[in-house]
Amino acid sequence: MSVVSLLEKNQAEEGPTPQADTIEACRRGDREAFRALYEAYKDKVYSICLYYFHGDASAAGDAAQQVFLKLIAGIARFRGDSEFSTWLYRLVVNTCTDGSRASRARARRAQAAELDRFPAADSHEDDFARAQQARRVQAALSTLPPKFRLPILLRYFEDLSYEQMASSLNCSMGTVASRLNRGHKLLARKLEGLR
Amino acid sequence: MNEPRPPLIKAPDSVWASLEAALNRGEKPRVERTRGRPPVLPLLIGLAAVIAAVGAAVAAYSWARTQKPQWEVVRVEGSPSIGSQRIGDTARIAEGQWLQTDGSSRALLNVGDIGTVQVDPNTRLRIVAARPREQRLALARGGISATVNAPPRLFFVDTASSTAVDLGCAYTMNVDDSGNGVLRVTLGWVSLEWNGRESMVPAGASCLTRRKIGPGMPVFDNATEPLKKAVQSFDFDNGGNGSVDTILNEARVRDTLTLWHLLSRVDSSQRSRVYNRMIALVPLPADLSADKILRLDRQELDRWNQELAWKW
Repeated sequence: MSVVSLLEKNQAEEGPTPQADTIEACRRGDREAFRALYEAYKDKVYSICLYYFHGDASAAGDAAQQVFLKLIAGIARFRGDSEFSTWLYRLVVNTCTDGSRASRARARRAQAAELDRFPAADSHEDDFARAQQARRVQAALSTLPPKFRLPILLRYFEDLSYEQMASSLNCSMGTVASRLNRGHKLLARKLEGLR
Repeated sequence: MNEPRPPLIKAPDSVWASLEAALNRGEKPRVERTRGRPPVLPLLIGLAAVIAAVGAAVAAYSWARTQKPQWEVVRVEGSPSIGSQRIGDTARIAEGQWLQTDGSSRALLNVGDIGTVQVDPNTRLRIVAARPREQRLALARGGISATVNAPPRLFFVDTASSTAVDLGCAYTMNVDDSGNGVLRVTLGWVSLEWNGRESMVPAGASCLTRRKIGPGMPVFDNATEPLKKAVQSFDFDNGGNGSVDTILNEARVRDTLTLWHLLSRVDSSQRSRVYNRMIALVPLPADLSADKILRLDRQELDRWNQELAWKW
């Protein structure tokens, strides 16, 4: 099985888009509504943070926690001018970027020894080779510079449009398109051995 | 073009446990820098000012860093880390920072000058407060052993299902990824508190905690297994009257500790049964009022607790 096909299932794993009433209840301080939002987005947010921080589960967990703390602290100011997911992923991008600024050491490129820091993807024990390939893709992705890595993560985990990504990344759509293109090329080059 | 897609990684339960604990503490997110792309000219002007101020800023930062409340961390085994940085033989950890150990690491925290906390493998904790009047850590998962020699209510351990308040003691606390935990006290007393629910745990006793429920009732470690199971069933599995029957039948004099907590947690129809069992094991002191106790008068209950404690 190719790496391409075995890693194409993420879109199917997406959770439901939160309803307006869930967001409204969250604004009112409803803890259960907040939990529902958390459940809908936790894996995507955590995954982006994990890839961003080179598989450092501690940093990713801390960043994901900060994202949701910011969400609950700022949801009263979310007016619905943009889509909820766009707003949420702006929080993710800002939190990751801030986390990286706070600890430049994390921004270094992942070394070969760091491959093991990624948890194995959901896989059965008899599918060891598949898990190994998946981990190589994860590691290759984590070596991309952040400006290429973030658009790719946003596209794969949330399938945001160029306009939404531009809003989340605070840049133009042209810049998004350019970074996605270059990011894909870099990734493809790093994965040539797997194709 | 088919593109390689990175697999989605499931967020560990510890993220929600930490988040919930942070929310319960009323914690606010860290302040972000202001965003946006500033105009170039003001940026250059500002840069000149920044360069001029660097010396002062560095000095101020250094001073602030030395003033920031911190604990000392000693590496005992393996490679504990603060944030994502592995520590050497010793390090300093400040408020807000995370300490993490992997499966082969251990560390020791010197909590100011009031005690020590041994950090077990596979543990993740954060320093919440390191101040003379409040020493507090949040245990997201894993295990710790705390030994504290300080006035009561100075050292606290927050988890997703309880806050352990030190009353002058030594104890261990273990928390799993879902936020459930167990406290074992080896010296002195610990008060486990959660949303108005409180369990007083003396040396030789343990107490389970469950997320969204809080602490159960304390049980002496040498109590009978049926009693322990019945307490767990009553506290967390809606064990009801069947559990109460077992607890009353199995209780020894020393287990009036558990019965004292049970008294205020059973419904009124069962309360007199618990009371009668307690006074059969240890007669009620003459100066205490049965009526007040059955009405759950706080002061009277506390006075009885102090009398019963001689048997614990």
